[in-house]
Amino acid sequence: MHKFPIYTWNGIDFDLSAIIAITISAILTFVLARLLTRKLSVANPSKTQNFMEWAVDFVHSTIASTMPLNRVRPFLGLGLTLILFIFISNLLGLPFGIVTYVHEPMLGITADDIAHGHAELAWWKSPTADLSVTSGLALIVFLLVHFLGMKQNTKHYFQHYFKPYPIFFPLNIIETIAKPVTLALRLFANIFAGEVLISTILMLGVIGTPFMIAWQGFSIFVGAIQAFLFTILTMVYISQAAIHDDDGAH
Amino acid sequence: MDWKWTSFVYAIVAFLILYWLLNRYAFKPLFSIMEQRRQMVLEQMNAAENSRKEASAEMEAQKQALAQARQEANEIIEKARITSTKQADGIVDTARAEAARLKEEAVRDIESEKNKAIASLRSEVGSLSVAIASKIVEKQIDEKSQEQIVERYLKEVSSK
Repeated sequence: MHKFPIYTWNGIDFDLSAIIAITISAILTFVLARLLTRKLSVANPSKTQNFMEWAVDFVHSTIASTMPLNRVRPFLGLGLTLILFIFISNLLGLPFGIVTYVHEPMLGITADDIAHGHAELAWWKSPTADLSVTSGLALIVFLLVHFLGMKQNTKHYFQHYFKPYPIFFPLNIIETIAKPVTLALRLFANIFAGEVLISTILMLGVIGTPFMIAWQGFSIFVGAIQAFLFTILTMVYISQAAIHDDDGAH
Repeated sequence: MDWKWTSFVYAIVAFLILYWLLNRYAFKPLFSIMEQRRQMVLEQMNAAENSRKEASAEMEAQKQALAQARQEANEIIEKARITSTKQADGIVDTARAEAARLKEEAVRDIESEKNKAIASLRSEVGSLSVAIASKIVEKQIDEKSQEQIVERYLKEVSSK
């Protein structure tokens, strides 16, 4: 298994591969969005503008499926950022890997790791294949959901911990904690497993090419599904906490 | 594969910055363009609806104007017909009255001429008979002829 390069500065560990991956993903997302929304036009949209508008409509309808239509607008930017960033992050680790061989202890490689001669340092990965990153995203969602719940739906937000009966309070607490945890773990596990399998297939050498093709294709599919899932679950949680529906069941 | 809080914090910060940047430089203009298009489509639909309504109203007005014109034309024709009939009747009546008047005048003229002729004839006869009588009276009637007249008269009376 590969090691990831860890740079220690004043006793603080920095996972360089994760930082590189996050930075590249974010920059890529921004540049792509910026390129696709160049030369906007009302009457004569370009192909790229049409694509972006399709994406906006898609996210809009996705969010609208979880909450009343008139509440969608403030979350549209968040939903788009989430789905674009996570989708690009999921795909980032697929096309190639950068691995360096280390023969002496450095960047978090200990003497034990190179006992067999050398250690492999993986510099390139999907940021979402790192639990730290997905848990960061989940924390943002968690804070947002509960902030919106307390601000916009105060009474029902606090009441819902004791629904349907006060005895359900511990269950509700567990549910509340489980939501962001599963959000983070689901995304991380799917993408991480995908990359593990890719590195495993790589060990097969030339014979693994058809498997690689199949799995790369499937990973793109999984990446899209997970990005969509993260986005829609975020919106469902926001809707549950912040929007009170008189006959809503939660 | 450890959980690194530096990556965790960095991911959060990066995502928030990305969210802000995307909203500011990519989504906001895009949304405003989409909103503008929505407005434009709405306006155009309203405009189309308005012009359709206007067109149909115009059509209706035209139809009414046409119907009215047709009705007016019919009325004019009808009036003209009535007027012409009346005029014809008037002319015939006038002609007839004129003819009657002329005839009457002629009859009256004839009558008055006749009367005049009779009157003049009568006066002529009177003066003639006066003249004849005076001529006869002028002639001296002798006893013998007077006797003859009386005799004849008596004879006539006795024979009856």
